[in-house]
Amino acid sequence: MTAAVSASTPLVGPGEYEVSLFRLYVLRAMYLVLVVGLGAMIVPEIVDHELTSRGVIASLLGAVWLLAFLGLRYPLEMLPLLMFELAWKAIWLFAYGLPQWSSGQRPATFAEDSFNIAFGVVLLFVIPWRYAWRRFVARPGARWH
Amino acid sequence: MSIAAARSPRFWERGDHEVSLARIYAIRAVSLLGVWGLFSTVMSLFDHAPDDRGMIKAMVSGLWVMAIIGIRYPLKMVPILLFELVWKLLWLIFFGIPQWWTGIGSPRLQEDLWSIGAFPIVCVLVIPWGYVWRHYVKEPAERWR
Repeated sequence: MTAAVSASTPLVGPGEYEVSLFRLYVLRAMYLVLVVGLGAMIVPEIVDHELTSRGVIASLLGAVWLLAFLGLRYPLEMLPLLMFELAWKAIWLFAYGLPQWSSGQRPATFAEDSFNIAFGVVLLFVIPWRYAWRRFVARPGARWH
Repeated sequence: MSIAAARSPRFWERGDHEVSLARIYAIRAVSLLGVWGLFSTVMSLFDHAPDDRGMIKAMVSGLWVMAIIGIRYPLKMVPILLFELVWKLLWLIFFGIPQWWTGIGSPRLQEDLWSIGAFPIVCVLVIPWGYVWRHYVKEPAERWR
């Protein structure tokens, strides 16, 4: 009985681990959303597109889709992918989305883009910030000599 | 003397470390190149056409932020290097090469072929493949229960 209890980890608190099991599942759910969502939106665009299409956006998002599969297996190690997602979406919102929304001068793609990008706000709640702080700020960097 | 020698393995050798010091510097050099090379894109965020779509510029700026972190933590940011390799390969396979082959392409094809198409080679050379194999394939998945 006690052996079984100590073998399974608590769902909520981090215990002896870096983050809680609950957090790992939240992260995995996020990667799954990327796998399913981008899989439906972007993969068809990559495979079948106009011959003259530039394809930069589709390829960028296609790579997020492929790497999200790795995130299902290694949610913490692939955190840089989610940080990148949050960073570019926040940058877009502040540099393009919000100014265009308030001025009314919007590109034709505005409605679709702003919806998909604003959804990235959930990343604020998904990323384990204390862990991210320890891993990418507080801990010493890789060696220099 | 012998302790000092044991502590600092030769520049090109891994020793007890994850990767050699040479590899760490190679990744840092590429990160620095990214910070320097993408800076003009970041600056363009502050001065763009009011109805610019901005997706590519926002994503490139997101990569710029990740490149800054990569200077301090080159190994932890390996997922970003993988991302760079994957999106550029996707672009080459599904857009660049077919368009170059058929001669029917986007108006920016020549420019893109150089600025996107050349980089997968750099990524392949810089990415520490042994480390990637150990950390993203062989290592057991992060816990599920």
